[in-house]
Order: sequence, then structure tokens, then C-alpha cells
Amino acid sequence: MTHLTMEQLLALREPGLEPGVQGWRDHATACELCRAELDRLDQRVARLRALPTLAPARNRFAEIRARAVTDRRRRRMVVVSLGGLALAATVALAVVLSPGTAAAPSPTLAEQQELEDIIGRSQSLEGAIQAYNPEQRVTDGRTAVVAATLEDRLARVDQQLQMVDMMDQSLRQHEALRLWRERVGLLNALVDVHATRARAIGF
Amino acid sequence: MDAYGLANADAVVPGVKSGDPAAQEALYRAFEAPVYNLARRICRTTEDAEDVLQETFFEVFRSIGRYRGDGSLWGWIRTIASSKALMRLRRNKYRDTDELQDDVTPVRREDAALRMDLESALERLSETARAVVWLHDVEGYTHEEIAGMMDRTVSFSKSQLARAHSRLRRWLQEEVPA
Repeated sequence: MTHLTMEQLLALREPGLEPGVQGWRDHATACELCRAELDRLDQRVARLRALPTLAPARNRFAEIRARAVTDRRRRRMVVVSLGGLALAATVALAVVLSPGTAAAPSPTLAEQQELEDIIGRSQSLEGAIQAYNPEQRVTDGRTAVVAATLEDRLARVDQQLQMVDMMDQSLRQHEALRLWRERVGLLNALVDVHATRARAIGF
Repeated sequence: MDAYGLANADAVVPGVKSGDPAAQEALYRAFEAPVYNLARRICRTTEDAEDVLQETFFEVFRSIGRYRGDGSLWGWIRTIASSKALMRLRRNKYRDTDELQDDVTPVRREDAALRMDLESALERLSETARAVVWLHDVEGYTHEEIAGMMDRTVSFSKSQLARAHSRLRRWLQEEVPA
């Protein structure tokens, strides 16, 4: 007489009736050994369900909350960046290239070139940050705070960039360059934060 | 009927959706233990389980807008937690270049002669087998659901469960129930 395999015994515990299961059920009813094996299986599952609930050693809420706040801020920043940054870049280039008043100094070719380069650098750094996929990473509380601080400063720089065209012509050129340089510096720091974190957790 | 719940879920969920820290903390407190327990039973280390706990709640806070309230809150959170725990297993396998092994965790020779308790026996199963056992027998997922979450076939889930139970039975040296 062939006894039921573990797979067949497990099938008897499943809802619904697969082909062949009724035959296995009949066998289990008639066969003392298989009925005992089915009882063992039921008891084992009951013991698994009765295992104590394990709890974490420490409260992680503060870290999760910090990460959630950073994420919300980052998503807001992305929305602002998509519209605001494109506008700011256009404004910055227009400011430098627009004819100045008789009193205002004309932008040099070197300044124009530097502004174009620095805007390009800013865009590639943003791409590098996205490549680290920070929203999908586990981040400790300290990293989250550092990243949030840098992102706050970036948001302020972006706001200032959008105000540049309201400035006096003689100030605009230098201010646009200064702000874009600051933006690139902050983005570099943010890349470092994400790169360090990625190295620390090994991927 | 859920084993876990939040008595005032109707008040807490809208707060979580609006980013209210008190509501987020209430949700975290209500489901921290079951999420961690699920993660710890599936993952190899406490560190992995704690990361899964963090990733799960981060995802819950981020995606709570997608929770419509038509199913149980714990069921929704548990699906996220299971998915994160299985992702962690996959990532560890890639990192360790440890292909999906159906075999057991290596064990010292003298252990084979000892009768194990259920915790030790469960721990000794391979990660994949342990995950299938826990998701099916304790969390109540069907083989179809487990196959979907693991990106495997239903047959794979069934055979993993059968092999795991055969091993557990042997290691536990179970007596015939009275």
C-alpha cells in the first residue's frame, strides 16, 4: 500500500478540490498512518502560528518619519525644479545675453560660457542624484537630516534664481553666476551624501 | 478577520494621508510588531528585518493615498511588508552570489543527532523555503499569491512547502499525536 506524500497531505489542507484529492482524502480516512501524518502536519502548522511575535530592539519611527519628510520635500522640489529651474536657466542666459544699459557693464564671453557650463553641470548632477534612486533606499536618520538640510538650501537658491531678472542689470550677471555656482556646490554635496550612503550599505 | 488592527483606523488613515506625524506614529505603533515579526521570520538577520520594517513603513506613508479602505488595513500593509522582505532575500542572494538554493543552511554535524525546537528548525530552512512556509502556513497566502510575489510558479511554491515540511518533520522528530 502506497502512503500519501507530503505534497499530497498538504493538498488535503488546501481549499477547493484539485484532481485526485478526493482519492487521497479517502485514503487518509482509511489509512491510520496517513491520518496520523495529517494530524502531525496540522499540529505543526498550529505550532508555527503560535510562535511568539518578535519585536524590534528599538523604535525606528523617528528615522522613518525623517525619511518620509525628506521624501515629501524632495517630491515638492522636483515639481518646482521641473518648472522653476527651466525658467531660471532661461532667465539666467537671457540676463547675461540681453543688451545692458549704457552704464551697465556688458557680459564677457567668458562669463557667458561659464554660465552655460555651470547650468549643464547642474543638470548632470541632478541626473547623478536620480541615478542613486534616493527615494527607494534605506536611509538612516542622520543621512536623512543632512540630505534634508541640503535640499532646503537648494530650494532657497532656486527661489533666488527666479528673482534674478528683477535685479538691476549691473547686479544680475554676477548674481546669476554666484547662485548657479552655489547650486552646483550644494548638488555636489548631495551627490556625496548619497554616494557615501550607497557605499556604506553595499549597493 | 484580521489578527491585527487599528481601532480608530477611520480617523488615523486620513491623518497619515495628510502627513500628520501623530497619525503616522499611531499607525506605526499599531503595526510595528506584526511587520517586524513577518520580516524577521523571513529574513536572515535582525538588521535585514529592521531594514524591511523601515522600508515597509516608508512605503506605507508614501502610498497611503492608494489605500481605498475596501480591504483590511493590515492586509494592505502585510502585502507591502511581504514584498519588501522577499525583495531583501533576492538582493542578498545576488549580493552573496548565492543562487536560489533549495537546500538547507549548513549545520554542524552533531546537531543532526539533536532534537530541535521549532524555532531552530525554522531557522535552519533555506531562506526561500522559510519564506514559503511562513507566508503560506502563518500569514495565510495561497500558493498562487506566493508564486506571484516570488516571481515563481505555483508548483515551485508547493514543492518548497512540501520539502520544508518533510525537513521540519525529520528535524523535530515528531511523535504520533495522541
